[in-house]
Amino acid sequence: MVQGNADDAATTLAALGRLRERAHRRAHGGAWLPALGFAVLLVASAALYRHPLTRPYSIDAKHPFWAGLPDEQVSPVASYLFWFLGTPLLFAVIALWYAWRARRHGVRVGWPLAAATGLGVLVLLAVLAAVPVGPVPDGLVSASGPHWAGLLTPLLPLAAAVIVLGRAEHSRGLVAAGIWIAALTAWLCTSFPLGHLPGWTSVLIGGSGAGGQLSLRPAHYLVLMALPLLVVAAVNLATARRPR
Amino acid sequence: MTESRSGGPDAGSSPHPATALDDVVHQRVRLGILTVLSEATECRFATLRDELGLTDGNLNRHLRILEQAGLLQSTKGYEGRRPVTWLRLTRAGRTALRAEVAALEQLVSRIRTATAADDES
Repeated sequence: MVQGNADDAATTLAALGRLRERAHRRAHGGAWLPALGFAVLLVASAALYRHPLTRPYSIDAKHPFWAGLPDEQVSPVASYLFWFLGTPLLFAVIALWYAWRARRHGVRVGWPLAAATGLGVLVLLAVLAAVPVGPVPDGLVSASGPHWAGLLTPLLPLAAAVIVLGRAEHSRGLVAAGIWIAALTAWLCTSFPLGHLPGWTSVLIGGSGAGGQLSLRPAHYLVLMALPLLVVAAVNLATARRPR
Repeated sequence: MTESRSGGPDAGSSPHPATALDDVVHQRVRLGILTVLSEATECRFATLRDELGLTDGNLNRHLRILEQAGLLQSTKGYEGRRPVTWLRLTRAGRTALRAEVAALEQLVSRIRTATAADDES
């Protein structure tokens, strides 16, 4: 009889597990589209750089980095418009997608918080970048980078939105993808030139300790940032299409 | 479930997991409702009814109990001209579901440990 109780409880738990999996697929089977959208926006931003794939003799990167990464832009205005129009446009597409899914599948996901986070951080960035500052004395300009001020980049609002959406979608993959974008952005945007390695990292990989630079260009880094998003999108789409 | 109170080797040292089971949540259909709702921010009444294979009246009866216990909230609205009821778990509902599943897991583990000990002796 005691064993019967254990079996009953185990059967209930197994049934709950199956029900939860079905409900999860129904509720979160649409995460692939925003993940793909974020990845496309990231990769498309490679067009904002003057030399997205090739290494020029010298680079003139003006601060703030409206293109995203600290590298030479085709036009700062075009970069600004790309992110300040592209990001709200992406969220509008995501809103339409979730509204359609809510009508079709009868479940809602808490995506508005992700949109509010992404757009809120983007506006905050614009406000911070607009704060007037005096010229930096030559002696204080560091060759290794702009440090914290480099974080005024439109890539961070996108990373924040991906992390919040990951929580709403119960997706560890999306959260990890957002953290990955934020980490890469923080490293790339707080040092100059792009891909600069501080001395301690080259010691770790057996170098001289003098530091160095990865020979990757903005487009490579953007693809690296987008890669986890593409994996999440592919896995989510494959899982959602599996017969119930 | 009185039989399960015979317990295992440490039966006297900690309260039996069966005491953690909540009568409101433990009912099979209500456990199903909470499980489905835990996966979405909001779920439509009709979706939940179809997912659990219930009638409108049966589902309504269970929803009323859960709502009175503060475990879920319902919002009425329209999709076009069609009236729609959206359901969402409250924080207390999520906590109650987690506690229920944890209690069930403990119960299974405790009874299996006790049975294995009986078989050996």
